[in-house]
Amino acid sequence: MDTNKTPELDQLPQDLFTQAEFHEEQLEDTGFSNYSYWRSTIRTFFKSHTVKIIVALVALMAAYTIIYPMVTDLDPYTVSLSARDWNQPPSAEHLFGTDGVGRDIWARVWFGTRTSLLLSIAVAVFQVGLGVIIGALWGFYRKLDTVMFAIYNTLTNVPSTIYLVLIAYIMKPSIFTIIIALVATGWISEARWFRSRILALREVDYNIASICLKTPTRRIITKNVIPHLVSLIIMDAALTIPSSIGSEVFLSYIGVGLPADICTLGNLVNQGRSAFLVYPFQMICPTLILCFITVSFYIIGNKFADASDPKNHL
Amino acid sequence: MREKIFEAKDVVIKFNLRGKTLTAIRGASIDLYQGETLAIVGESGSGKSVFTKSFIGMLDKNGWVESGSMVMDGVDFSQYSTEKEWLQVRGKKIAMVFQDPMTSLNPVKTVGEQIREVITWHFGTDKEKAKQEAIELLRQVGIPDPELRYKQYPHQFSGGMRQRVVIATAIACRPRILICDEPTTALDVTVQAQILALIKRLQKELDMSVIYITHDLGVVANVADRVAVMYAGQIVEHGLANEIFKDARHPYTKALLQSLPQLGVRGHDLRSIKGSPPNLYKEIVGDAFAPRNPDAMKIDYLYEPPFFKVTDTHYAKTWLLCDKAAEYNRELELKNAVRSKEQPAPPIDFSNAEKLVQVKDLTVKFKLGRGEFKAVKNVTFDIHRGETLSLVGESGSGKTTIGKAILKICHSSGGEILYKGKPITGKLSNHEMTAFRKSAQMIFQDPMASLNERAKVEYIISEGLYNFHLFKHDSERKNKVAEAMRSVGLLPEYVTRFPHEFSGGQRQRIGIARALVVEPEFIVADEPISALDVSIRAQVINLLNQLKREKGFTYLFIAHDLSVVRFISDRIAVMYKGQMVELAESEELFAHPLHPYTNALLQAAPQPDPDVERDKQVVVYDPSIHDYSTDQPFWAEVLPGHFIWANNAELERYREQIQ
Amino acid sequence: MGRYLLSKLGQAIVTIILVMLVVFTLLRFMPTAGYFTKEQWKDMTDTEKTAYLRNMGVLEPMPVQLKNFVVNLFHGDLGRSITLYPNSPINGILAEKIPYSLLLNIISWFISAAIGLPLGVAMARSKGGLPDKLGTVYVVIIRAVPSIIIHFFIQVFFSKWFGLPMLFYMEDPISWILPTISMSIGSIAGYGVWLRRYIVDEENKEYIKFARVKGLPQKYIMWRHVFRNAIVPIAINIPSDFLMMLSGSLVIESMYSIPGTGGLLIKSIKAMDNPMVQVLVLVYGALSVFGVFLGDILVSFVDPRIKLVDSND
Repeated sequence: MDTNKTPELDQLPQDLFTQAEFHEEQLEDTGFSNYSYWRSTIRTFFKSHTVKIIVALVALMAAYTIIYPMVTDLDPYTVSLSARDWNQPPSAEHLFGTDGVGRDIWARVWFGTRTSLLLSIAVAVFQVGLGVIIGALWGFYRKLDTVMFAIYNTLTNVPSTIYLVLIAYIMKPSIFTIIIALVATGWISEARWFRSRILALREVDYNIASICLKTPTRRIITKNVIPHLVSLIIMDAALTIPSSIGSEVFLSYIGVGLPADICTLGNLVNQGRSAFLVYPFQMICPTLILCFITVSFYIIGNKFADASDPKNHL
Repeated sequence: MREKIFEAKDVVIKFNLRGKTLTAIRGASIDLYQGETLAIVGESGSGKSVFTKSFIGMLDKNGWVESGSMVMDGVDFSQYSTEKEWLQVRGKKIAMVFQDPMTSLNPVKTVGEQIREVITWHFGTDKEKAKQEAIELLRQVGIPDPELRYKQYPHQFSGGMRQRVVIATAIACRPRILICDEPTTALDVTVQAQILALIKRLQKELDMSVIYITHDLGVVANVADRVAVMYAGQIVEHGLANEIFKDARHPYTKALLQSLPQLGVRGHDLRSIKGSPPNLYKEIVGDAFAPRNPDAMKIDYLYEPPFFKVTDTHYAKTWLLCDKAAEYNRELELKNAVRSKEQPAPPIDFSNAEKLVQVKDLTVKFKLGRGEFKAVKNVTFDIHRGETLSLVGESGSGKTTIGKAILKICHSSGGEILYKGKPITGKLSNHEMTAFRKSAQMIFQDPMASLNERAKVEYIISEGLYNFHLFKHDSERKNKVAEAMRSVGLLPEYVTRFPHEFSGGQRQRIGIARALVVEPEFIVADEPISALDVSIRAQVINLLNQLKREKGFTYLFIAHDLSVVRFISDRIAVMYKGQMVELAESEELFAHPLHPYTNALLQAAPQPDPDVERDKQVVVYDPSIHDYSTDQPFWAEVLPGHFIWANNAELERYREQIQ
Repeated sequence: MGRYLLSKLGQAIVTIILVMLVVFTLLRFMPTAGYFTKEQWKDMTDTEKTAYLRNMGVLEPMPVQLKNFVVNLFHGDLGRSITLYPNSPINGILAEKIPYSLLLNIISWFISAAIGLPLGVAMARSKGGLPDKLGTVYVVIIRAVPSIIIHFFIQVFFSKWFGLPMLFYMEDPISWILPTISMSIGSIAGYGVWLRRYIVDEENKEYIKFARVKGLPQKYIMWRHVFRNAIVPIAINIPSDFLMMLSGSLVIESMYSIPGTGGLLIKSIKAMDNPMVQVLVLVYGALSVFGVFLGDILVSFVDPRIKLVDSND
């Protein structure tokens, strides 16, 4: 206002007191804002330096786990017959040392990371996917309530570890067993969570408008409902990864995990644990990588959840 | 004039939002005198709420008072920096009542406790004595059975009763100023009238000054001694209530008053204010209202006007009051003289027109826990082609449910609905359903919720075109969308934008475009203006009326305020708790309201005229006056076209009343 | 109120029945080796094995087996262990073990509440400040790192640094320290993070603003309004947290050789003792369901609105 200081009244020229031009068209343009949900979400997400670093490291690591097994000539399963190669400490030749039968731990860790990541990504995809689909049906068809709540109570009132152990115990140990066991215990909470979101979205006026326009339910779900859930889906998937890796470690610990001869982070950690007091590096090296993965995905999931909330789009 | 007890001067308030600074209050000043009621009127975003919140240090964390002063008893609050300092002010000197009574009370504490804690804290009164005082307060705000109610929890109270509790809490420490921030907006019209009366009574009893924040000019006329009008973070005009309502000087105030549907002339467009309030992120040059004012002068775009004096009590911030504008004022007067000669169009008789919708004995039930809830009870009426029938009632009266039942969005539990003479209550074949859906559309209340945020406007408007295969080539679809945009007054280029890039009024018009693009015949408009700002309402009403004229739409218009629908309706039906109690031609209903509830509703609706409002008595409708124990009520035609829910004895009385 | 509890009780009973059905069905897929001791499995011929199984009633059709199981259950007979404690009644095994688990659970539950709740309050009050950040780091580590790794390091390093016993002995209370720490750290993080979230949610509610407008001091609002309300959703989980520890401390009990009920399931699985696994899963399930029911009761005392709510949401 200082820049446009009003002159004294008597100095104002008379011709200013006449009708000005009126631009009706321009009036409709005032509501414009350049806010975009996804742009703001991504910007808020990457605002923190921790997130930038973690995402970069995770990307690097993921690339490495994909490329390493293709290019390396080290075989994680090669047992050495010579006792000299057993329980070697980390060295230039064996970055993480060797285990009790002379297998290279560096190679085992990256093969293990690959298995564990694939396993947890598979769990994330199936669990969240199943959760979204069943949650959507549950939310849209009220009649499912009785059945679904019975299933929900049955599955969640009992600690999921018990079902997990039970399923893993009954089935033959394999990657699919673990995936099935984890998805079977995890999907219902996802479904319930998405159901409540969908119930909230279902009654929204724009969906009623779509019903009035006779838009098919399928398109209402894909166009009006799912786009509002994408950020939740991403977040949930990210958070499923650390918990599946943790469960894999748990299952190998109690002896119903993958067969001990397959490289997974859970098996490596558990094998290292038995030798920990004598050769601590055999456990510490795989543990560090494992913790880096779980902590990173946990942080990414949570930070993304914060960033996807429009309230935080400052 | 009485003693001045509070003075805010040149207050500037800024907020930090998304890294940008928003100037919400751009130098506003206001005086408050002992024992008066000052109403601050403005649209959303005008800053009325922010301005008054700053008086008690309740700005949100990202906001701050940049400059200016707020002085009471010689102390300048704007210098306060800690919560502790504000404790001296809050509750004791200045108290506040919020908009929504449903969220103002802690749900897990008894209401008594919530009043008592204020007394105990401020005066150190011992518990038993404070309890007695709290019970006394509950009695004072008109809560029956206060000893029992003291021990109850908020969820056991109705909205109106909760607001009474909130008011009791606010006055517990005998504050000298009570700020009421839209205290009745969330309440029903009849409850609103009672709360307004209560605040007025308490103000006299306690000799408080009241600052009333509202967007409703009817409420202002009812309560205010003085009125201040806010626009874009500034007070643009202030004066005694009569001066503002009868002799407004600022173009914004004038336009606001003229755009009220209550003052509309049937058959003519309302005076509407185009556009929307300015963006407060940018610096505003000159008169903030100028870009929306077709009669603005050149100087309005250059310099911000100072306050000019009209009378000792009336000031306005407009260049029109400058001596040099005398000639321009004369020009304007000539122009307006032509405009004011509009004659109301005579009511059109639709009774011989085709019956587009026939509702017979409609009942809608909802499951509620284990029981059932009858949202609509045996309602019978017709809607003729080309007319606007308004359904008026308070929340929970079943008016929206009727609209949704006709559109087959919710199931009807009994009775029959005919559309173009064919029953639609049962299951329809796919072909019939398509034809029905194409022909009947809906417009919604909340423009923020009625558009899918993640879809472009282009998709939103095309949705119906896709579903009903209304185009041969994609270019034809695009043309139809563009035409729809134009007919609701929006530029066709905007279709590539997302809904959040539009203002509330624009979004409402996009919602209308979505409905009209499929060329329907019948539209259910569910409170299409109640969520909009006053200045935007007229645009939407005009648009709906224009579409009715040009395309021959038939409307079922749902509203909660009788006075608003008078201007647009051909006939009006009044709903009470699922029951239709009265149905008549618009003017007939206003001339001979028969049912006691219709009377209460008419009486309660605030008129934007202080002379009418000041001496108004609150009429409370008490359903127990009807004795339906032996003489059963029925839906009767008391005069041709005038229906009422009554029993034989009442009918007799109503007939006498008309003669 | 009565109706609310009745409906919750009904729900609990239905759930227990369903859990029983699910577990029972699942266990029919278990390897039949679990019905024999090692010697029997080795020595018996196939026909002998079949006869043995028939004698046990395992080859009967499912519904009959279920009926027999339920009938025995009502007579208080949980069956007998086969491989783990050959031929001992499961009743007796459980009776012997429950006191150990109960003892440690009670101690660690008190520790979790005593540290976790203040942690949540401190984090919420210093939102964005140092205590909040430190608390968040703690929560992230506890929740993201697999618990076995954490428990293992606690066992190894804490015993080394503080000279504490690595294994549990009932007679030596000093040896209880590490197991209780292991058992509490998870729930401390849980209480902390949830209480923080609920407090922050409450603080943004309109009635908290109204309480401020009333002129009440911040401290008073914090305790009498914010904390009072934020604790409601925590309360609902307290009993089930408590009971779930009985079964949830599977790993900790086996790690510290605590002769409690938690480690028993792992041992039974490793020993492939089918009747044990079956009964244990059912008992744990029933306890958890009971915990949820207790939570529902508890919440109806702290939240007056609950009397009106009777649906699942």
